[in-house]
Amino acid sequence: MNTSLNWLQDHIDLSDYSTDTLSDLLTFAGVEVEGVQARGAVVDHVVVGQIKSSDPHPGADRLSVCQVDDGSGTLRQIVCGAKNYKVDDKVPVALPGAVLPGDFKIKEGKLRGVDSNGMMCSGRELQLTEDHDGLLILKTEAATGMPIGELFESDTLLELEITPNRPDCLSHLGIARELAALAKRPLKGVAHHGATTVIQQAAKPEEITLDATESCAFYTARRISGVTVGPSPDWLKSKLEAIGLRPINNIVDITNYVLFEMGQPLHAFDVAKLDGGIRVRLANDGEKFAALDGDEYALQTNDLVIADQSKVVAIGGVMGGEDSGVTDGTTDLLLESAYFTPSHIRRISRRLDLSSDSSYRFERGIDPAQTVGASELATKLILEIAGGEAEDVLLVAGEVPAPPSPVTLDHGRAQRLLGVDLTEAEMGEILTGLGLESQGDGAWKVPTFRGDLERHVDLVEEIARVYGIDKIPAREVASFAEPSKEDARYDATHQLRQRLVDLGYDDCLTIKLISDAQLGDDLCSLRLGRQTQAVPLKKPLSQDHTTLRPSVIPGLLDVAERNIRQGATSLKFFEIGTVFSKHEKSPKVLESQQLGIVLSGDMANPSWHGDAPGADLYDLIGLCEALFGGGKQAVSMRRLEQESLLAAAEILLGKTVIGRLGQVIPARAREMDCQGPLYVAEIDLGKAIKPSAPAEPVTDLPKFPAITRDIALEVPADMENAEVANFFSKRNDVLLVGFKMFDLFADPTGEKLPVDRKSVAYTLTYRSNDRTLKSEEIDKAHAKVLAALPKLGDVRQR
Amino acid sequence: MIAQLDAIHQDAQAAIEDARDDAALEEFRIRFLGKKGALTQAAAGMRNVSKEDKPAVGQKLNEVRKALTGFVEARSAELLALKDADAAKGVDVTLPGRRPQQAALHPLTQVMHRGISALRQMGFTLAAGPEVETEFHCFDALNTPEDHPARNEKDTFYFADGHLLRTHTSSVQVRTMETTKPPVRIIAPGSAYRRDEIDSTHLSVFSQMEGLYVAEDVSLGDLKGTLERLFRAIFGPKTPVRFRPHFFPFTEPSFEIDIKLQPKGQEPRWIEIAGCGMVDPSVFSQICESRGDDVYDPDKVTGFAFGLGLERLAMIMWGIPDIRLLIENDQRFLRQFASA
Repeated sequence: MNTSLNWLQDHIDLSDYSTDTLSDLLTFAGVEVEGVQARGAVVDHVVVGQIKSSDPHPGADRLSVCQVDDGSGTLRQIVCGAKNYKVDDKVPVALPGAVLPGDFKIKEGKLRGVDSNGMMCSGRELQLTEDHDGLLILKTEAATGMPIGELFESDTLLELEITPNRPDCLSHLGIARELAALAKRPLKGVAHHGATTVIQQAAKPEEITLDATESCAFYTARRISGVTVGPSPDWLKSKLEAIGLRPINNIVDITNYVLFEMGQPLHAFDVAKLDGGIRVRLANDGEKFAALDGDEYALQTNDLVIADQSKVVAIGGVMGGEDSGVTDGTTDLLLESAYFTPSHIRRISRRLDLSSDSSYRFERGIDPAQTVGASELATKLILEIAGGEAEDVLLVAGEVPAPPSPVTLDHGRAQRLLGVDLTEAEMGEILTGLGLESQGDGAWKVPTFRGDLERHVDLVEEIARVYGIDKIPAREVASFAEPSKEDARYDATHQLRQRLVDLGYDDCLTIKLISDAQLGDDLCSLRLGRQTQAVPLKKPLSQDHTTLRPSVIPGLLDVAERNIRQGATSLKFFEIGTVFSKHEKSPKVLESQQLGIVLSGDMANPSWHGDAPGADLYDLIGLCEALFGGGKQAVSMRRLEQESLLAAAEILLGKTVIGRLGQVIPARAREMDCQGPLYVAEIDLGKAIKPSAPAEPVTDLPKFPAITRDIALEVPADMENAEVANFFSKRNDVLLVGFKMFDLFADPTGEKLPVDRKSVAYTLTYRSNDRTLKSEEIDKAHAKVLAALPKLGDVRQR
Repeated sequence: MIAQLDAIHQDAQAAIEDARDDAALEEFRIRFLGKKGALTQAAAGMRNVSKEDKPAVGQKLNEVRKALTGFVEARSAELLALKDADAAKGVDVTLPGRRPQQAALHPLTQVMHRGISALRQMGFTLAAGPEVETEFHCFDALNTPEDHPARNEKDTFYFADGHLLRTHTSSVQVRTMETTKPPVRIIAPGSAYRRDEIDSTHLSVFSQMEGLYVAEDVSLGDLKGTLERLFRAIFGPKTPVRFRPHFFPFTEPSFEIDIKLQPKGQEPRWIEIAGCGMVDPSVFSQICESRGDDVYDPDKVTGFAFGLGLERLAMIMWGIPDIRLLIENDQRFLRQFASA
């Protein structure tokens, strides 16, 4: 809320406070000062000038060349773009040497070839008003040549952030009240906020009918006749301009003034435009309403409206109508001051996407006890400023909502929650300062403007912020913590990240929302089976982000593409993060942690020693083996047919499928301008890492030497290595303790081997745990292996 | 005989000086120690030495053989050392080395890890919850009224069945209290979602870290102590930390936290970094209702909660000018964090 320091000083003396001290005082009590602006012409070299003539600029249609009397005796030529003035008007003139707000220096110069020796200013250029439509036209009485600062009072504008629980601070009186409590000094007690004197009279049905007390508990109207609508007096205009409001006419300005003075929104109807008495009722379905903002709104049956006998004249508490408001010709007024229910105003304001200074206050909750006082203040000002006569009585309907219930403060509990030894008396002093009244036994009567104070903790909060959190001692006490499953999961995941980083893979984080196009990509849905689906958003914000990702691969491919564009030659990226899916028959969204890897290009840093080897499929397979195959269970691959992948495999840990990998079809890689083959892997970490696996005991080191025998087998070209390995792993000779493939040979020319054959070579290791083997023993064991070879099928030893 | 051996010794001593390469050394070896070498031939003369002279001559023979063998070994070692030195000759130690590829942990991973480490040292454990949440866990249980501005389809991603993408990690507070009895002392890092257009300061998916401590007699002093220590652990032990009263539906009193930092080339200034507060009693009441017991009776337990945005933390820590850099994963950007 924009708050004028001068206005605040109507209520409280702050002359001894610097702006910084005041800002801190408010900020550290929970009313954050978001900005401070010095207002008023504190600018040197800006004077009152009178426009003596205005001629078209010879070189620019939109500019004029003016001769201006600046009081110096000689006329000053200034080129000007504004249109809102006439000759003889007085305006602010910034002379060369002036520095306007925003560090805008005024110099002598030429505009489109014509000399211009200064600048005539708008209100906003001098930070006097918000007005930027043209020059600021000054009063004719202003003396030519007078410094502009003498014409405008200087002021400080505080931009305050009022949290939603503090509607009482949405007025100058409210802020002054808050400052009085914080600075421990009295309010000045402005006369017009005293006890109300008007006689309240229950309205007759033909005057006001209130049919919707749930949405509007209390409604008042004052009839004022014979007013003269016109411009407001200077004091009123400048008050409104000080907080950035544009004066409209005396009646509207007065209602706005009362709103920002007391926080009570008011509305003035032109009686001549009303058809009979006021009806506060719910709208008829489909009823239309043309509001002040020029828009038409379609209403629903639970919307509260203010109507006359034939039409809607306002959306209660939100906005008045286009056809019933005060205009220049208005003479008789009906002045509304009411209490609207916050939840109702919130709902309708949100539904219609319509908000106003009124709705902003009603939806947070105004002080119900000030409804009558605000009406009286406005009436008094109207009679003073616009003349006319007010009826003796205030017509009222409904009842003022009950004041807040007393709240009890438990001193011991408050001390424990605050962690500070404040005495009961010290706490009481703070509460009293805030306008609460002690009723004994810890009970406190809450003022009507503090409806937010309902519970014990609300009082503790008041004490904390007024006492000052900086004075509360920090306590450093910890207790033993039982590690959670999540701790174990995090540690295992972080270790995995660190290992990948150490192997040269970059840790990536991409947006978890993907586009329909990405979703349509077969690579994105490797994990989704026939019955598993991706999860779309109901209302996406953009076409790029329509669906929760079922895989991290699409995001990583974008990362690869971006880095290819930037000239990266080693693409080694991974992401660990949540992926989402759901079963077609269940609404439940399944979340799991996935590791995605993208690999292409150099496997080492380029160096003067020679070219780095390029990544191939076995780099990726080896990586997966190393990352997940550390324990008792080995990682193995199983061929997979996948549309978007060449040479794809399922990754198995023991017998569990933990993920997939393969080479992206080259056509796709080429689209990405990828220079070499591109590989991807995705691994379900829920299956791949067992964070709380028990420690495995070590294996004894062998005590006796091992003997190896190499064996080369000629097998059909399409026989998978897994078959050969499986053959060896099934030999249950205790002496055969290991086998390892060391060579693969095929001859595409068919010269050394037929093209449908290949040669695989293995080293077999023989060893005994209790003796050094004799060569006859090894020969015998090896012969047994060779003898079993036919079990492997069409195989020949070479 | 002895004189003959001495002469051989002297000859060898002179000859070894000239054995300057492998071939010459081999020649030397053959000349003195080979089958027909001088020493071998002299040794053959032992047959003719008288019995009483034999020990002395034998000893002399051994001495000379040992000396000659020593000549060969020493010279051989010298020649090898020369070759070794030759091999390393011209090696330019200032040429660039062959570096292993060194990648980096993402800055968000790093900043999250720092926060987690600091809080674990203070006795917090990790907790997690789903990102696709119910309105109850994201809003109702956190005292957020049905007409609160955050609860509409303009600001929050909803699904057709009424679920939503959590707008904050605070939902993990609720889930933890539903399943765990007090005391609880947890942190929950994770993603949160808001329907914001992505620009230089906003992401629709961002990272937060939530903390919750509930026990008997947890006070505002505990909140201050914990969070001051956290931010000093992240930003340095002397970092000034301050608390400003604020408003959140699920805490009371509530505060925003500022830390004072000096961005490069600028005056030191206060930067808003997190929100926190004492858990609102209505949150505890809601938990009791949800659990069907009273272990979280607001008359018995108190607690504090806090939440911080990790992107903001990373941006402040490293002076990252545009939040989008954190999701673009440009290698040139990421590698700057390799040694961090």
